Formats: sequence, structure tokens, C-alpha cells
Amino acid sequence: MKNVLHWNPPESLRGAEVTYTVQYFIYGQKKWLNKADCKNISRTYCDLSDETADYEHQYYAKVKAMWKTNCSKWIETGRFYPFLETRIGPPEVALTTDEKSISIVLTAPDKWKTNPEDCTISMQQIYSNLKYNVSVYNIKSKRTWSQCVTNHTLVLSWLEPNTLYCVQVESFVPGLPRPAQPSQKQCVRTLEDPTSALK
Amino acid sequence: QEFQFGPCRVEGVALPRLLEAFRTVKETMQIQDNITSVRLLQREVLQDVSDAESCYLVHDLLKFYLSTVFKNYSHKIAEFKMLPSFSTLANNFLFIVSKLQLSMSRLNDSAHRRFLLFKSTFKQLEMETALSKAFGEVDILLTWMGKFYRL
Amino acid sequence: DGVAALPAPQNLSVHSTNMKHLLTWSPVVLPKETVYYSVEYQGEYESLYTSDIWIPSKWCLCTEGPECDVTDDITATVPYSLRVRAILGSQTSAWSILEQPFNRNSTILTPPMIEVSQDGFHLVIELEDLGPQFQFLVAYWRREPDTKEHAKIVRRGGIPVHLETMEPGAPYCVKAQALVNAIGRNSAFSQTKCVEVQGEALPL
Repeated sequence: MKNVLHWNPPESLRGAEVTYTVQYFIYGQKKWLNKADCKNISRTYCDLSDETADYEHQYYAKVKAMWKTNCSKWIETGRFYPFLETRIGPPEVALTTDEKSISIVLTAPDKWKTNPEDCTISMQQIYSNLKYNVSVYNIKSKRTWSQCVTNHTLVLSWLEPNTLYCVQVESFVPGLPRPAQPSQKQCVRTLEDPTSALK
Repeated sequence: QEFQFGPCRVEGVALPRLLEAFRTVKETMQIQDNITSVRLLQREVLQDVSDAESCYLVHDLLKFYLSTVFKNYSHKIAEFKMLPSFSTLANNFLFIVSKLQLSMSRLNDSAHRRFLLFKSTFKQLEMETALSKAFGEVDILLTWMGKFYRL
Repeated sequence: DGVAALPAPQNLSVHSTNMKHLLTWSPVVLPKETVYYSVEYQGEYESLYTSDIWIPSKWCLCTEGPECDVTDDITATVPYSLRVRAILGSQTSAWSILEQPFNRNSTILTPPMIEVSQDGFHLVIELEDLGPQFQFLVAYWRREPDTKEHAKIVRRGGIPVHLETMEPGAPYCVKAQALVNAIGRNSAFSQTKCVEVQGEALPL
């Protein structure tokens, strides 16, 4: 739900000192609204996450350029629907191991907030049927297998001791076609099997 | 994968497929709608719909889309060369309505009031405008239906 | 008035297996000529509400035929009408319409091919990739007296999926059937395949 409006500078004014002003509109309401800290800005993006935080609404945004005393017409986006169009980031993945198992703890990604003081909302609260696709790669056997899980903990037991395993996890919402964003691949080695040292 | 609208269960429709069909026509459709200050499927129509109401409301809405919106807008759809996506939506809506019909008994007043609110907003607009607006709001309708979609 | 001279294709029929729908017809044979064909479809909605509207098939606007994969056109579990006409240069034949409308719920579902393997103590299955409409019910059990059968839904084929962590001492057996929610049907079960993990039983 980090919703940022981006635009390209006017072709003909590359290098010139152009400033921009942004407004946004909530579909079904009456007026275009100003975005205070995107007025007369020189950057070519504007974070509208707070303004579009109500993900069940639909929004438009528009931007115009100003150069010296000249003013461009407004350029408008299509209708933006955060609930359907936002990408869902990967979960946080914490791994702990012992000789023959790896414990995986998953934490759903949080809804983006521009002000750290704001209360945290988990994407799980927005998409109650959020699930995870856990892929496990055994470096020694070069085998990969995956598991679809709903809850946040998974224990891979009876693994081979002293073996490097790599784990990657994707969040997905069944029913809503969306490009997946896998987590960083994390690799951990299972511990030595103490009994094998005695043989 | 199935819809469970309160007492009404509908299997045999893949919601992602319908969302995908709409996504391919969304931009073209929503550009036709230049009265952005009006939203037909407003909060008072779709928010906090109980399970008991949901079957009646989705039945009324889909029936209206089939018999009014899609029927009167198909010539425009053909013009825009979007018939395949339109056909996917229309035939799946038809399938859902046929399945809902089997398990509905009597009227549900609060669901009917919600539908009448939607319909009265629709009627206040000029026909062509109302049709393009209603078609452009299919993503809102599908998202609401998604709340009753079980995997 | 050459339009009627070109004969229309005959013997239209649909062969559907595992949700792949193939429309076939008898070719129009003209010596030293290549005849092309055009296919169009109408769902139940169109035939009820907008019967004048026929939709060009995604893959067979102008095809040498005499067949057409209409899988991407049939996107709902309702009856579909299909029609074909022949094209030769600027000439087009009359339309031939499929005698009985086709509903995808009549598709033939075959048992899925399965590959069962192990990675150490882990039982892994890979199912045939039959497309996005397919899920699989996988049944697996440890082959020993009064054993208990477990079941798991696998959402898609084509990738190895973890089933179970195995204990040595007895083989583990697996079978699977294809599920197609779009038509509310499933295939018969596949062959059963078993694997056994070697090695000492792990301390409890």
C-alpha cells in the first residue's frame, strides 16, 4: 500500500527549472484535493500513501508543470484501486536450526506508513486469506520442494545434518491475480550430528 | 474455489479469471466514465453486508448487470473490440445467477434496499453514462464478491 | 454471386480432454486451392440477450484448419454455440453451426501423471502441469497394517511439493486425482507409486 505517483518531466523542458503540483481525487466524491507537500516541487514523484490509505476507495491523481510564468494543463491518471492493484511484499522470514530440523517463522508484511508513529497494520488484517508459498532448496541433493502454508510457523524436520538448506517465501492472496515478490533467499546449515562423531 | 453467499453456494467460477477479464478492459471502460463524482456501488450499498443479505444482493446486482448493463452496452463493447472479456464476465455472471436461483426462498428487505439505492443512483444518470459507469465499476463488484470466495 | 459456390464445412464436433477443447470439422477440398476457415463462438449469454453478436475465436480468425483450439474462448461453464465458415480469397461460405452447444463440464478428465521422489526423509511429489484450472487431491499412506490414509490439496502441477516427513521401516505410497472446480468434477485416481526411506529410525 505504498502508493507513489510518478511522472516524466516535459520532453521540451529537459534541464529547465520546472516545478510540479499534484492533486488527488476520491472516486464518488466531489472535489479535487491538494497534496500539501507536493506543491511547487521539483522532484518527479509524490507519495500519496496517506491520501490513498483507505484501500476500499478508488482514486485519481493529476499533476501539472510550471516553468517561469507558464503552466501546463493537468495530466490525469486512470482510476487506481489500491485493494486490487497494490503489490504484496514478501513476509519476514526467521530461521533457526538444530541438527535435523529448521524452524521457519513468518511475519506478514506491514501496510506501508509514512509516519512511523502511526499504528502498524499487518497486510494479514487487510487480506485475511493471505497465504505463503515456502520453497526449500537442499544444496547437497540439489532438490527443491515447496509447501503452501497459512499459519506463520513451519518446522522442517528430519533434515540431513550438517547440510546447507536455502529457503525463499512468497506471500499470495488466493483469488487475486498479482505478481509475486519472493523474499530474499536465506541459507542455513543444519548442525553436526553429535552421534555421528562417536562412530 | 467456491462462493459462499450466506446460504447460497456457487462452485464452478474462478474469480481470478473474472478479475483478469476486467483488467484487460478496465482502462478503456473507465475512461468513458467522466462523471467521477458519482459512484454507483457506494459504501452504503456494499459495506457490512451480512451473510443472509449477500445472496439476495448479489443476485439482484448480477441480474441487473445481465439484463440492463451488459445487454444495452454490448454494441459499445463490440465497437471497442472487447467482446471476449465481456463474454467471460457475462457468461460467468449468468452461471452464478442460475446457481443462486436454486437456493433463494423469500425476499430480504435490507438487501433489497441496498439494491434499490444502487438502482436509483443509476437511474439518475443519462443512460449511456450510467451504462459505462456501471461497467467501469465491475472491479468494485468483483472485489466485494471476493469477500465471499473460499479456496 | 460466387458466395454460395464455396461449400460450407461439415461434421463439426468438439473433442475435449482435461479442459482443452478442440473443434474439428471435415475440410472443404478444392483441387489446387488452399481453403481457410474462420471460427466464431457465442456463450449462453449472447444467445439469450444479444443473439446477433458472435465473437471471433481467439486463435482461428483465419486458419488452415480443419481444427481449432477453442479452449481460451470457452471461459464459463455454460453452453457455447460454435460456427465455422470456409474462406477462399474473397469468397466465404455459409456458416456451419455446431449441432449441439458445447459445455465444458463434459470434458474428459484423465488421471494425472505423478512423479514421487524423496529428499532424505522427505516425501516429495510432482504432478503433471495441466493448466491453471487444475488442482490435485493427493492421497498418501504408510504401507503397514491398519494404516491411515492422509490427503492434501496441491494447488498446481509442474513443481515439486513436499508431502510428508517419512519414518524408515515401511514404504510410503501415493496416488492423486485431478480436481477441476470450474466444472465441479474430478478425474479417477492415478496409479499408486511408493518409495521407502533407508536408514535407522530416528530417536523419538
